[in-house]
Amino acid sequence: MTMFESIRRKLAGDVRTAIDKPAEFRADVEYTIQGVRRGTISPRDVLIPAVSTLATLAFVFVLLLPIYWVLMIALQGEGATLYSTDSAGLIPEQFSLDAFVWVVGDLYIPGAIFRIAVPFTDIVYYFEWPRIVFLDASNYVDSTSDFPRYFWNSLFIGVATVVIAMSLIVPAAYAFSRREFAGRMKLLYGYILFTQIGGGLGIAALIALYTIFSSTGLTNNKLVLAVYYAAMAVPFNTWLLKTYMDSIPVSYEEAAIMDGASPFRVAWEIVLPLAKPGLATIFIFIFLTGWMEFIVAQLVLRPENYTLPVGLFSLVDTYTVPWGRFSAFALVYASPIVFVYMFAQRYIESGLSFGGVSG
Amino acid sequence: MQEWISDNSALLLVLPGLFFFSLFMFFPLLFTIYLSFTDAEPATVFQDGPGGLTGFFGLRGVENFVGLENYVAVLSDPAFWNSLGITWLFVAVSVTLKVAFGLFLAMLVTSDRVRGKRYLRSIIIIPWALPPIFTITIWKGVFSSARFGLANQAVMALGYGTQSWFNDRWLAFGTYLLTEMWLAYPFMVIITVSALQAVPDDLLDAAKVDGAGFVHRFLNVTVPSIKRPVMFAAILTAAASFTQFLIPYVFNRGGPGRANELIILYGYREAFTFDAYGAGAAIMMTAVVFIGIFMLAAVWKGQLAEGVN
Repeated sequence: MTMFESIRRKLAGDVRTAIDKPAEFRADVEYTIQGVRRGTISPRDVLIPAVSTLATLAFVFVLLLPIYWVLMIALQGEGATLYSTDSAGLIPEQFSLDAFVWVVGDLYIPGAIFRIAVPFTDIVYYFEWPRIVFLDASNYVDSTSDFPRYFWNSLFIGVATVVIAMSLIVPAAYAFSRREFAGRMKLLYGYILFTQIGGGLGIAALIALYTIFSSTGLTNNKLVLAVYYAAMAVPFNTWLLKTYMDSIPVSYEEAAIMDGASPFRVAWEIVLPLAKPGLATIFIFIFLTGWMEFIVAQLVLRPENYTLPVGLFSLVDTYTVPWGRFSAFALVYASPIVFVYMFAQRYIESGLSFGGVSG
Repeated sequence: MQEWISDNSALLLVLPGLFFFSLFMFFPLLFTIYLSFTDAEPATVFQDGPGGLTGFFGLRGVENFVGLENYVAVLSDPAFWNSLGITWLFVAVSVTLKVAFGLFLAMLVTSDRVRGKRYLRSIIIIPWALPPIFTITIWKGVFSSARFGLANQAVMALGYGTQSWFNDRWLAFGTYLLTEMWLAYPFMVIITVSALQAVPDDLLDAAKVDGAGFVHRFLNVTVPSIKRPVMFAAILTAAASFTQFLIPYVFNRGGPGRANELIILYGYREAFTFDAYGAGAAIMMTAVVFIGIFMLAAVWKGQLAEGVN
């Protein structure tokens, strides 16, 4: 719980900073204006940063135009299209959340009946709670998407991938960082090499992988896919976590060993808690591998097991793309990842030291 | 022996990960090599072949061993050389674009003249956070041949007529390049920004005092100190370009016709669209050899793994 507490605290801090920012900015501007009036700040020193900042902002806006464009299309509702009307302006003429309702579908807690029998008697109590509906999509749209099903498939694969991968990676990273064994350096070099060409080799082996999966009857199996993703995540994340563990001073462990702690307790109670930021980083990376992977998932899964990326692609793989629906689907799929990145950015930037590269 | 085991007991912690990685990486690669010497196709490869050790525990179908036939066929096929050529062209041009654009953006968001750089940095790396299939399908929409496609609106604003982007070979190739650049720039920016921040300010100031202009300072102070990280990023991104699959696949299946099939897509299409698993495997293995030579040379020349301990 302490980790969630610290994340909560940091998020609250971020929100507070964001709220305070406009006032701070106004104060800065006022100070600058007064400075210019009094002549303590030369207009040239104000003008150059102001102009270059505005130019940069405009440039960044153009750079991110495709994302903005998708957002605008999604906000125009279900039937939005770029083919019929001149609706591709910067601000849409009509707003509608239909497309998002279509994506999300009904929001409800399913009804359930519990049966509790009192032991040694014939008395049975039944508890029942009704279906609680937050949003009934049929009030707004004729049909709903398969997004919820794809979502649960993706979540299942993502969670399974993380569990399997962590149980492979954490012990290995600990061993690489803290122990000596035969072939350690060679293995580490191999892993670093594979972080860089692994993706390409994985695609090159696609035909064989598909043949093996098919011959052994393992296609369309979500758990097998999760094991595959976990295996692919091993080299990069082992290396990353090992690099992080290297930065934890050995003296803590030595103190614990002096006090008679077993090697297992040292690893479990000292190294792992200290490695939390590293663990969080690889947790996100591993989860996102499963969440975003498309090529293999598309090849081996059948419609009932489609994950979100495959579901997204199946929307556009027709001649008449429903752009409004596609955009809403895509945004709902991608937005959590953006938020995670935004929050985790400072940790990722510091975690990715790219050891041995700088200089 | 006993002593060796107790000295190396930590190896036990590494082996499970290594085992799974080998199972899903090296074993399929070995199987690819095997397939590339056979006439495998769906009709034969999925039939139950011989069991036991020689049948790879039931993995083998009734495909026949054809020796080097696939390689001879592939290497004498002009379509293969076209695909390999267009792939290397894609790598060369896209890496140049990615490095140049990433450097430009990184200079922009570390410049003293721009305010709010920290926020700008977190905004411009947003494309990095988006799933590739998401961004690539958006770009497919951008290059829609309809009059209201974003790209067509842009060229019309410049006074040109609408284009059907995917029906012309070099226009389609251009859309691949632009999309690849957009996908990869956040990675380049992050690496370059951290490299730029390590450039010693005293050196830049000293050069300024000596009267060196912006271009001179950039070429003689900045470039030498960021050379290695940027080269590192360029090598990684070159490998990514070489194995680019999704962009041509999503845009127009490597079209028009088969003109723009990058090498991995070419092998994939041979195997899964034309049901020639053997030939597809041979193409993939040839691609692996090329990327392997390139990466080994890069790792060796660029000393990528230096500083490991």
